[in-house]
Amino acid sequence: MNKKDFINKLSSCLGGIPVEERQDVINDFEEHFKEAMAEGRTEEEIADSLGDPKALANQFKANILVSKAEKTTSAINITRAVLATLGLGFFNLIFILGPFCAIASVLISLFASAISIIAVGIAVFLASIFGPLFPQYFAVLISPAVAIFASIGVTLFGILFFVGCIYLSKVFYRLFVRYIKFNLRIITGKE
Amino acid sequence: MNIQFKKGVLELCALALLAKKNRYGYELVNEISKNISISEGTIYPLLRRLKNDGFVTTYLEESSEGAPRKYYQLTEAGKKMGKELKEEWLTFVKKVNSFLKGGAKDE
Repeated sequence: MNKKDFINKLSSCLGGIPVEERQDVINDFEEHFKEAMAEGRTEEEIADSLGDPKALANQFKANILVSKAEKTTSAINITRAVLATLGLGFFNLIFILGPFCAIASVLISLFASAISIIAVGIAVFLASIFGPLFPQYFAVLISPAVAIFASIGVTLFGILFFVGCIYLSKVFYRLFVRYIKFNLRIITGKE
Repeated sequence: MNIQFKKGVLELCALALLAKKNRYGYELVNEISKNISISEGTIYPLLRRLKNDGFVTTYLEESSEGAPRKYYQLTEAGKKMGKELKEEWLTFVKKVNSFLKGGAKDE
């Protein structure tokens, strides 16, 4: 593999990270080749001792995407960061993807519960207002006044629950990013 | 030597080398790969991570050969981190060594 092959392979494997950042990585390797060639090494020797460009690209990607997820909290960023770490080897499948799926499914079900509670509250509220107008469709079991207050209470509880879920997600997000970073320091690739 | 061993100490080596003076990428790679056999390219993702985490900063400086070189410099956080890792490492090695020596005595 000569310099051109190495750089091309590296560049093509660095898809998915910002262009400036990719260029910056490539510049570092261009500089490396230049310095090493000035010492009289051949392009092939240099490329060989640098290692597999694909494995290197995976390390860069994981580092860059994880720090992006750290800076900007978003479900997409954390998912991309997790996927990038999977490129680093089998261990991450267990140590990162496993906990990630577990945490994500717990949070999703909590959010779903919060939304259902809000939906029930609103439905009961609407039913208790409009229900008496359509007696043929709604059997009134409790007095409309009680139903209205109860439904407002349930809706508010649902909203509170929802806000709690958001807070919980943020806490988990931060902890999980720290956990991934800890893993990156220990397991930085197969090679 | 076990590959994960080497990876773990790479960060420590880079921080220790930078604690002495600012160095450019190729210089760091050379210094480290002289003593530890590892894919040379691995140092670059490490340097980028240290930069992203605010442990080092970089600046360009013209070299005598013409092309500018990217130099790496420890930040205050980087110096602190380097010291902590060094302490941890020394304590760890001391303990492991005491096991190794103790083992030799028993035989």
